[in-house]
Amino acid sequence: MRAPILFAILAAGLPAAASAQSNTNVRTLSVDANVPRACAIGAPQLAAGAQINFRGLNGTTLQIDRMVDPTTLATNAASVDVTFEAICNLPHRIRLETQNNGLWQTSEVTPARVEGFGFAIPYRARLDWADDSLQLNADAQVRRITDSSLFVNQSRMGDIRLRLEIDAGASNNRANAPILAGFYGDTLRITLEPQQ
Amino acid sequence: MRLLAASLTALAALALPGTAMAQSTTATAGPFPVTGNVPGLCSGGTLSNANSSFALGVLIDTATGLRRTDLAAPPKILTGAFCTVRSNISISATALQSVNNIAAPGAGFSRTVHYTASASGWTTTPATFATGSASNPGSSQERSTAFQGDISVGIGSFSTGGGEGLRLVADTAYQGIVTVTLAVAN
Repeated sequence: MRAPILFAILAAGLPAAASAQSNTNVRTLSVDANVPRACAIGAPQLAAGAQINFRGLNGTTLQIDRMVDPTTLATNAASVDVTFEAICNLPHRIRLETQNNGLWQTSEVTPARVEGFGFAIPYRARLDWADDSLQLNADAQVRRITDSSLFVNQSRMGDIRLRLEIDAGASNNRANAPILAGFYGDTLRITLEPQQ
Repeated sequence: MRLLAASLTALAALALPGTAMAQSTTATAGPFPVTGNVPGLCSGGTLSNANSSFALGVLIDTATGLRRTDLAAPPKILTGAFCTVRSNISISATALQSVNNIAAPGAGFSRTVHYTASASGWTTTPATFATGSASNPGSSQERSTAFQGDISVGIGSFSTGGGEGLRLVADTAYQGIVTVTLAVAN
């Protein structure tokens, strides 16, 4: 008679264990990606209503309309504003560089200097990048590469605004000196450099 | 010796009548119940290729800094999942966020990419979880019967946290987590 009693106890015990069992399975998966360092500058856009004595923007070329006064041959004032849509997704350095440090004759052979005439034209360039700005004074004293830069300690997007200004009568000689005939030009480069 | 033999015979004679008396009635023991049980059991299966990472690669178009619109990753398959009883499958996920660059992003930038994770193949309606959604009522689905099969876990419907016009800050690691839970239903 003992055996049946034992069976009954076991049978009563097992269902209790089964009901207490909570079976949960968890699988964890990760989603991985990266965002590379990226700085980009879009095509230049002429700022509306902000050009004086410039013909406008042709691709990436800014052409001065009347560089000298036809009667005095002294430099005419000119100014222009150009914007570039830009983005840098990390701290970066913005750099403005001129190839010639002023408007110099574009011919490969430098013309003979003539006493009293100017043969290069200085100008000022200013870059505004949100709350920061930098200036570059291309004084046309020496034909060389000149640059100016500043560090921006954050990611940033928006418009870079470049303003070029040529003063009336500016030359690498005395003020209001007549300018030698020829084609004058300079090349500007704007660079956004990731800094991390 | 003769006396001893006689005594043994006498003992035998005494014992035998007792056996004869026990056979005269029927004795029954039992019934003995034999019981057992199968506890509710679920197994989440085995991850195919033992690779638990959805590798999305580069998140942005490097020309614009905006999130790529063609982000995709092959689904992960949990093979051989089973439940011996009614079960619940649920899924949850955390948004992709930059791991190293955790500073608040500047104006125009974001460090978050939202997506929708889904677990299908177990229930008629897949369990889905959108990381950018305040509530996810469809994240838990119940199956009323025992089942064995594969669970396909996928991600999709990506969006940039804060708005599609925002750029993502640079970071070598963006990470989110998808968790799939298969459990015995109460």
